[in-house]
Amino acid sequence: MKTLTASGKGEIRRVLEAIVGPGGVLSDPDELMVYESDGLTLFRALADFVVFPTSAEHVSAIVKLANRENLPFVARGAGTGLSGGCLPTEGGIVISLMRMNRVLEVDYDNQIAVVEPGLVNLHLSWKVGPRGYYYAPDPSSQQACTIGGNIANNSGGPHTLKYGVTTNHVLGLEVVMPDGDIVWLGGKTREACGYDLAGVFVGSEGTFGIATKVVVRILKKPQAVKTVLAVFDEIDRASAAVSAIIGRGLVPAAIEMIDHLTIQAVEDAFNCGYPRDADAALLIELDGLAVGMEVQAERIVEACRDAGAREIRTAKDEAERQLLWKGRKSAFGAYGRVSPAYMVMDGVIPRTKLPYVLRRVNEIVAAAGLRVGNVFHAGDGNLHPNLLYDPRKPGDEARVLAAGAEIMKVCAEVGGSISGEHGIGLEKSDFMPFIFSAADLALMQRLKNAFNPTGLCNPGKIFPTKKSCVEVGPVAYRPHAIEEKGLAQRF
Amino acid sequence: MPDALLEKLRASVGPPNVLTGIELSSYVVEGRTPEAAVFPGSVEEVAAVIGLAAEAGRPVTPWGGGTAASVGMPAARAGLVLGLRRLGRLLEHEPGDLTATVEAGMTVEAFQTALRSRGQWVSLDPADADRATVGGVLATNASGPRRHLYGTARDLLIGVTVVTADGAVVRGGGKVVKNVAGYDLPKLFVGSYGTLGVIVEATVKLRPLPEHERLVCIRFDRLKDAGAAVKSVMASDLIPNAIELLDATVSTMLSATGTTLVVGFDGLREQVDWQCAELARLAGACGGQAAPSLQADTWPRLAMAPRAAFSATAAVMTLAVLPSQVAEMMERGADVARARGLNTAWAAHAGIGVVRAAIAADVAPREPAAIAAVLVEWREMAHAGGGHATLEWAPLAVKSQVPVWDDPGAAGRIMERIKAQLDPQNILNPGRFVAGI
Repeated sequence: MKTLTASGKGEIRRVLEAIVGPGGVLSDPDELMVYESDGLTLFRALADFVVFPTSAEHVSAIVKLANRENLPFVARGAGTGLSGGCLPTEGGIVISLMRMNRVLEVDYDNQIAVVEPGLVNLHLSWKVGPRGYYYAPDPSSQQACTIGGNIANNSGGPHTLKYGVTTNHVLGLEVVMPDGDIVWLGGKTREACGYDLAGVFVGSEGTFGIATKVVVRILKKPQAVKTVLAVFDEIDRASAAVSAIIGRGLVPAAIEMIDHLTIQAVEDAFNCGYPRDADAALLIELDGLAVGMEVQAERIVEACRDAGAREIRTAKDEAERQLLWKGRKSAFGAYGRVSPAYMVMDGVIPRTKLPYVLRRVNEIVAAAGLRVGNVFHAGDGNLHPNLLYDPRKPGDEARVLAAGAEIMKVCAEVGGSISGEHGIGLEKSDFMPFIFSAADLALMQRLKNAFNPTGLCNPGKIFPTKKSCVEVGPVAYRPHAIEEKGLAQRF
Repeated sequence: MPDALLEKLRASVGPPNVLTGIELSSYVVEGRTPEAAVFPGSVEEVAAVIGLAAEAGRPVTPWGGGTAASVGMPAARAGLVLGLRRLGRLLEHEPGDLTATVEAGMTVEAFQTALRSRGQWVSLDPADADRATVGGVLATNASGPRRHLYGTARDLLIGVTVVTADGAVVRGGGKVVKNVAGYDLPKLFVGSYGTLGVIVEATVKLRPLPEHERLVCIRFDRLKDAGAAVKSVMASDLIPNAIELLDATVSTMLSATGTTLVVGFDGLREQVDWQCAELARLAGACGGQAAPSLQADTWPRLAMAPRAAFSATAAVMTLAVLPSQVAEMMERGADVARARGLNTAWAAHAGIGVVRAAIAADVAPREPAAIAAVLVEWREMAHAGGGHATLEWAPLAVKSQVPVWDDPGAAGRIMERIKAQLDPQNILNPGRFVAGI
């Protein structure tokens, strides 16, 4: 880490202000505090500067300055990430893209939009909604998270079961490379010319450069939607129902699972109408043509009933549908009713291993003397065990971290992955060897060298490394600023 | 090739699995004969062969079914053909997970047959499925008409095992459908034409077989009207799995006349029925007339239809444009060729803007210069609309005048650096790919 002298810092601040204007640079420690963590408040690191560019040229000039001064830099969107991916672990410059939030172009005939990275995910769907279109990837933080952040993390959401994740919806990107060059990867047309660099860039967690324009696909809204709630007395049966649905050749838009503890929390907070005595519920959504919707819904009902569902409810109207989804989408916030703090985990397993892995998760958590709430994308096998704990109790936080690592090991053992959508960032870099060999990591490192040879662009992420300048617990859990404002839920 | 190297190769994979001399006739590309063709029987043997080639500084050309062997520039130096045909097993298929893991040398058809027996398929319909291998389809990013709805290899490949230029066995991605751990190596290898590593295993996402599928043909007098119909379908509630726009020449292959729009629907019978009726209404409003429908197994044939339209073909070009530009590209492109006395055949994945055109070689072989001039004009037309073009197939005489690949612009520099990082000795398919890679 480079230590800046007060005069050196003043000089760099003047250069940054010359690039973005006087209102676009923060360097006062009090102001920098706002940017010291993302949605995973367990990790914190202070930048030397936070800069707010408004164009690719600004970003390029900032990056070139950072290279000249040998300062690390990292791009930041809304800060809703859950793996510490946008933290300035070695100080330097945080480049906030929040002022680059325009929709530059919408081409309805060709079903594409060109947007800036700071655009809030949901705002794109709002923009194209009146013409009957939407942007498909729907992370639960979509009211706050940005398209640029989605690209860094290759974000998913409940409806990725049918529609895929961010990478399946990005055609091209204008990128400021780690040396400051502005380069287009991919474009508006299909078929990449040469290697699929746009595909490689998406999900690179900000280590390959900074996207400044993004070409995304927009989709026609489905003609019809149907939402079903299936209630189970045993969570194993709910798991079996997921496999049964897939096994019968049905591909719903979403299959979400909510367990007993989560149902309690949600009902306490919002009264969504989930049966309190249920062990688990599946929220299943079908979308597509109006024709055939009933037949498909019947098949879903049949699969759930055969798997032992005790009750199956279909949303009668949009209001009822929204209420069922509210329970799912607000689950994270609702944990506050049953626990002073929680840590959300993110792992993926083959769908057929659900019953086994959920049992193992419960065992691990019980052995650690903790509680767990599960609310997750069952259709994709993407688990989100939420470990509930009390930060005031000595040792609780350490037990949470240890149990989290155990759960990741179980995911790896059954042939799964240690992250489905939250990314590796700082949080899981030491878990990478659970699923990748030294040779696998070496190849990734070489790929990184091709994009980011100096390593100044978002250092200290993804690869196993010591977390030098990062402050990690034991510190009390604090809600992130945007959570406090009620702008986003953890997911 | 030194005898010592041949001996080592024979020792690695067994003598019957090393071909030399006259046995190499099937592996001659553009008149160039490799030094040997080697067929390893396991991932470890692939690694051993590449290790030996690297040690001797010999170029390696990975070889699946050989169906795309002539795409790109021929290897700058003769070397080894590394055949994957002995790696042909289905390793894992768990229907409840909707995923399967397969060795790279399995043919697409054999893979689909195995999946079909359990009610699933991998949603790719490339040409020559009886010979094309899974590894080859991934390496060349081959696809077919139903990519309209189901995407291409990049959307389906969730895990890949490759042997890199230093003989290391490396895995990227995994076996689960959703995974953001580490860099997306599967994307790097899809469409990399064997220049970064040899794909030896792949894990892909699967889909359930649709209960019904129908291919509806609509006939138009004018390309322009067919283009308008495509636009109207795209803006509707219909969910076609493919939208193919065929010119009159390609249409005759399907015993159809005039411009033909082929639209596919799958799903429940009532969904297919409703969509067919709705399509007839939308297309009718644009001047389309219903024509006899086709069998679902027509799709892979349509993937490469323009090339098959003539008894002898002089060149095939693929143009990526915006969907709204497709009909005009086809019409103007044919005019440009006609002005030079050349016949052409056109087909497009009209909903996503991928256009394929073939130039007929006719009775008397044309001067490469005339053919090259047309190809250059097509490429310029694609560029003018923000798209690009690949010379998918042509004799060397034409390829030497018209670059096979487009200039990737500033991104080319990153591609070169990736190549230098992964294959510093430049032994994997040297010179075949974009930017001289």
